[in-house]
Amino acid sequence: MRKLLQLIFGDLRNLSSVAVALLAAYGLSRLAPGAAGAALAVLLIAAAALQAA
Amino acid sequence: MNAAQWGGASALFLASAVEWVEAFTIVLAVALTIGWRRATGAALAALGVVAILIAVTGAGLEAAQADIGLIRAAIGIFLLLFGLRWYVKAIRRYSGRTALHDEAREFAATREHLERAEGRAAWVVAFKGVLLEGLEVWLLVVALGHTLSYVAAAGSAAASLAVVILAGIALRAPLTRVPENTLKYLVACAILSFGSFWSIGGLAGEQAVWPLGDATLLLLFAAYAVAGRIIAWRSRAAGSAPAGARA
Repeated sequence: MRKLLQLIFGDLRNLSSVAVALLAAYGLSRLAPGAAGAALAVLLIAAAALQAA
Repeated sequence: MNAAQWGGASALFLASAVEWVEAFTIVLAVALTIGWRRATGAALAALGVVAILIAVTGAGLEAAQADIGLIRAAIGIFLLLFGLRWYVKAIRRYSGRTALHDEAREFAATREHLERAEGRAAWVVAFKGVLLEGLEVWLLVVALGHTLSYVAAAGSAAASLAVVILAGIALRAPLTRVPENTLKYLVACAILSFGSFWSIGGLAGEQAVWPLGDATLLLLFAAYAVAGRIIAWRSRAAGSAPAGARA
């Protein structure tokens, strides 16, 4: 079960990447909703670049 | 049926088809990783849950409509967590990094255990994807059902499901010729796309965040696919990938 949870949520870096990207996009959605989705995608791509490096 | 009812049935057929195509895309993606039997099992289990929900909460539609945004957000976040991991792993394979890492670290038994656990997680992805889309189709059926009849509305939704399944079966054979890491990479891009769409859409309102609607999924998929290859290419070009360790 612990392994399954780890496989779903990943390590702390994966979890924090998704959390930061979502929080930032959600915050942006309060000001500019139309830009929030694109911001989320860009932040996730940046997180992937950092994790893959 | 009169012209208005035919129009309603056609609209429901097309709207349901969009939802079923999304569900089928997820099942297809997962099937390429854990096999068709298990992925289909996950899809059938999810459809069974939807059927039970319809039977049990048929009168509680308003509550379901109030919660659909939260359900969408929860499943979207789950897909983001799962998809980002796969995305990074596939990029690392393209740049040659994971092959070296695995070779140095993993024993065969550990690897087999990891693959089994990952298979269970992939099953959950297929289950939740179909569950969410099934719930959305149910809402469509109930919303349009009062202008037709519930039998005609459910029939339209079921017919669109059959068409999508037949089209998907036709796609199975060509997909087996695609290299494994390419498939896993495309799966990761698809899961990330759905996760992005549902998570922030569920939290902040889908129409406000994604004004282009479901068509945005294609744009997201293209963006993730192109960006990931650029990241892998830059990583390899930087000279960090060892020679011979190519995915």
